[in-house]
Amino acid sequence: MGRRDFLQVGLHGLAGLGLADLMRLRAEAATAAGKGSANDTRCILVWLDGGPTHHETFDPKPDAPAEIRGELNPISTRVPGIRFAESVPKLASVADKFTVVRSICHKDPNHGGGNHYMMTGAPTPVPVNCGAFVTFHPSFGSVVSHNRGVKNGIPAYMTLPRQSRSGGPNFLGAEHAPFIVDGNPNSKSFRVRDVVLPKSISEGRARRRRELRSTLDRMKRFREEGSNDPSLAFDTYYDQGLELVTSETAQAAFDLHQEPDTTKERYGRNDFGQRLLLARRLTEVGVPFVTVYHGGWDHHVDIFNGLKTKLPPVDQGISALISDLDERGSLENTMVILLGEFGRTPKINKRGGRDHWPHAMSVLMAGAGIPGGQIVGATDKNGAYANENVYSPEDFAVSLYTKMGIDPHQIFHNTVGRPVPLVNGGQPISELFV
Amino acid sequence: MLRFGFAVLALSIIPVGDLAAEPISFLDDVLPVLSKAGCSGSSCHSKPAGQNGFKLSVFAYDPLADFKAIVDDRRGRRLSPGAPEQSLLLQKATLSVPHEGGKRFAVGSHAYETIAQWIEEGSLYRHPEDSPLAKVEISPPELEAKKGEHVAFSLMAHYENGRKRDVTALADFESNKEEIVEIDADGNAEVQKRYGEAIVVGRFLGQVVNARVTVAKDVASGALDALPRANFIDALSYERFEKLGVLPSEPCSDGEFLRRASIDLIGKLPSAEAARAFLDDPDPDKRRIWVEACLQDPRYADHWAVKWADLLRPNPDRAGVKSVYLLDQWLRQVFRENWSMDRFAREVLTAQGSTHRHGPTVVYRDRRTPEDLTSLMSQVFLGVRLECARCHHHPNEKWSQEDYYQMAAFFGQLKRKGTGVSPPISGGWEVFYHGEGGSVKHPVTQVVMKPRAPDGPELEDLGQRDPRGALAEWLIEPGNPFFARAMVNRVWGELFGRGIVHPVDDFRVTNPPTNPALLEALAQDFVRHGYDLKQLLRRITLSNLYQQSSEPKASNIQDTENFSRSYRRRLAAEVLADAVAEITQIPHVFEGLPRAARANQVWNFKIASDTLDAFGRPDSSSDCPCERNLSTSVVQALHLMNAESLQSKLAHQDGRVQALVESALTESEIIEELYLSVYSRLPSSEERDVALAFYQDADSDRKTATEDVLWALLNSAEFVFNH
Repeated sequence: MGRRDFLQVGLHGLAGLGLADLMRLRAEAATAAGKGSANDTRCILVWLDGGPTHHETFDPKPDAPAEIRGELNPISTRVPGIRFAESVPKLASVADKFTVVRSICHKDPNHGGGNHYMMTGAPTPVPVNCGAFVTFHPSFGSVVSHNRGVKNGIPAYMTLPRQSRSGGPNFLGAEHAPFIVDGNPNSKSFRVRDVVLPKSISEGRARRRRELRSTLDRMKRFREEGSNDPSLAFDTYYDQGLELVTSETAQAAFDLHQEPDTTKERYGRNDFGQRLLLARRLTEVGVPFVTVYHGGWDHHVDIFNGLKTKLPPVDQGISALISDLDERGSLENTMVILLGEFGRTPKINKRGGRDHWPHAMSVLMAGAGIPGGQIVGATDKNGAYANENVYSPEDFAVSLYTKMGIDPHQIFHNTVGRPVPLVNGGQPISELFV
Repeated sequence: MLRFGFAVLALSIIPVGDLAAEPISFLDDVLPVLSKAGCSGSSCHSKPAGQNGFKLSVFAYDPLADFKAIVDDRRGRRLSPGAPEQSLLLQKATLSVPHEGGKRFAVGSHAYETIAQWIEEGSLYRHPEDSPLAKVEISPPELEAKKGEHVAFSLMAHYENGRKRDVTALADFESNKEEIVEIDADGNAEVQKRYGEAIVVGRFLGQVVNARVTVAKDVASGALDALPRANFIDALSYERFEKLGVLPSEPCSDGEFLRRASIDLIGKLPSAEAARAFLDDPDPDKRRIWVEACLQDPRYADHWAVKWADLLRPNPDRAGVKSVYLLDQWLRQVFRENWSMDRFAREVLTAQGSTHRHGPTVVYRDRRTPEDLTSLMSQVFLGVRLECARCHHHPNEKWSQEDYYQMAAFFGQLKRKGTGVSPPISGGWEVFYHGEGGSVKHPVTQVVMKPRAPDGPELEDLGQRDPRGALAEWLIEPGNPFFARAMVNRVWGELFGRGIVHPVDDFRVTNPPTNPALLEALAQDFVRHGYDLKQLLRRITLSNLYQQSSEPKASNIQDTENFSRSYRRRLAAEVLADAVAEITQIPHVFEGLPRAARANQVWNFKIASDTLDAFGRPDSSSDCPCERNLSTSVVQALHLMNAESLQSKLAHQDGRVQALVESALTESEIIEELYLSVYSRLPSSEERDVALAFYQDADSDRKTATEDVLWALLNSAEFVFNH
């Protein structure tokens, strides 16, 4: 059954058609058509794994008692009336370019569950403890991949340098799993795997190989309608891959070394900063969804010392990314999101750390028409509970999908054929759509 | 089973258009109208949160709740008994007021008049004397049709008191292949241009029924008579081809058979030496001898254990690494020792003991509730996806919530003690055992359920027995309607790339087998041979059907479900990875596994491998028993093209390429070796010439040319597919 047949059958013509087949057909339909709307928005989602503190970043509480306020002072930002913690001075200096939502919250204090909720927009149906690596629902990136399809041979969902726990495709199938770009882009020998030629193979040799292959790949193809020859899809994908490997524009995008030193310095000469730079280059060449994973934010112990090394690369990298995108005119169609699975406890614990706290968290969002210089919502005087314009992860997910031109309330069918709403309820966060 | 009421009218057939005959009832008349209008669709008012404050139950599984939602809504505006046309229910559905769901029916339509009259009469829920719906019947149930023919299907409802009622106008109709038969909502079908068989499904209030429509090609009768039949598989398949007017493809070549059988039976390509010997062997019995050799090969166990691990392997983060490893090792033992499949099922269904000692108990550590076990076991051993019936009547089957929770009751007395799951380590162990007490309740009625298998008999009081034992006994009883069929169909699916029922674990009225007689005969043969998997594999692989070419003929090119040709399918992730290692003679490195371990021995998806990920190995952290995905993708193409790991295997100084380069073989002989190891055949003279010319290229030397020829073969469809 071809794509056209599938579209004719539609979502309700399911009798007899296996649902797994159906999912595959939908995936093929999406991939073949590269459907989706005219919406060309890309997204760079930066995941601070472990649960970044909101007190020491975007939601300082200088008037709270010392055991809540912590060691850091607030600073003013480029936007009158908005104050951040002194540990993010560079972000403060570009606060006119992004929104911080201080009032997203949920109830899952475990890493596994929190990650799932904030990476997919769906809570886990059963309690999931810390450390669990689970998926019950497709991640944002996988849904974008499913919606946009492969264009010019580039995988539509890439993640650097590893997949976050719940960042997988679930029932959308392995072809919507993230393409993982591991390795350290701050190293001289760094190459994006698989999308560029192996190191030892020259352009000339690669060309000769390809010519040889095209004369030796002789298995007969059956092109008659209805013959369902899977080697035709193989050819389509192979040609797309060749297009990618032979496209100078695409190859340039993967080559971080073409970036001027000044830009590399601006993002920070460390693995995280260079990953952000690579993410920018990937979105520019058409990857619609890139996740940058940054671990180590679970500061149960000695948080203030920990943040001294942890925050500066993020402060520098994210502020550079947003400014750079803005200067290049691509912030309009590139959304940048900085978040983790939850915030951290208002009260500093006996070990000088803060523990898991899902009742308040700060999420930075920029680009794609999201206003700059804005704070959305608020937490109480101790930063314990979101208490103004409170939003749920579902609201966040609806907003993300809406920005990407994806209907957040569409119904998917999982492998046993059960209808699953992409987001269960939720409303757009109105302040992001002014 | 849902119960629907109506007024007793002795055995008369009442056309639904006859509104004056009796008062309209919600159950009998209004509910079907709402279903047919799509109001209770899963994207409309039966979403979990309803739609705009109005919620109906999915597929009307809870009619009383639906009735209350309409009649007792708090503002009372949905129905206006004094002026039915003012009722919001009618105004919305006819788009007289804004309605997100659009116009569902017109003012004055049958649906409209039914509801209006119902409101006017005072919105009766049910007639006082009712009789439950017993079954529905479709007419015609089977049909051989011609292109362009028009057929009117009708649906008759039979009630338990003998009353019959033509419900065609209230029913839903669907065709599973619109390219063969198109059907509208009123049962009017038109036969299209394509040949084959379509299933027409009729649905009425939780009951489903199917009809088969065969559109045969014109093939000279008797065209199949001369074909040899190796066993009953061929005989029954050819009978079906005769009916469909399809001629089977020619027999496959020796090389194709060798490669196909090796991949399917042991997940491995034949070595170049084995391929050469097989091609040269004049023995007419050599295919049978090769099948026997494969069945004795030690890799057989790993290959089949991986298939079952796909279904049963838990997330190691959840169940614990040691537990998952133990289950994996147990599965390998099952296939190494060729346990009969009834024993395998019994051991899983009745497992008890420690998760650190006895592999199959780990299934219970992962699936911790009777409900989760019901969904898993029914899918795996019955081939039935009961899961839908957990929350509502199954939309495409007869299964009700009662069926689901009766099955769940078999697991209600399972007890455990020890350290529960505590991801990500879950390092402790649990002991599972049977102990009295513990029950499963129907979630709507709250009635405590007695264990009963789907369509199974009422059980005697089990006393102090573990109910799971009774379930296993029922399952592996030779007359069991599910188990043997589900097993042979699953195995068939592995060998043909598609089940006789497909997907292989989705047996239902609305998804019938393409060749019921064949499925039945396979199941009986399997039972007769003591559920012996190897015997089943012999039967299938030695049939002429299995040994057909993948090259279609004019008459069978559109056949994608009757097995009249071999269907191409991509090599599974592990098979492809192991093939690369074997061909290049450089093993993969899998963390924590011995040197030279094969991908078919990897037991934990967290053991890193870009190749296995690219080619879609199942991710056991994903909670949907996600089937193995054999589609192709751009990531796979890029991986074959550019992966450093592949290039390094080609260039490796201990590898196959280097050995060939250093050997005394001529270039032509090297090319032969490569073709034999990748395709299990010799190159054609044209292919040989192309490859030889490549060696002459000024930019190539013997080493790079050999690498590049092998690279080209590994990047071809003939390598990536089993054909």
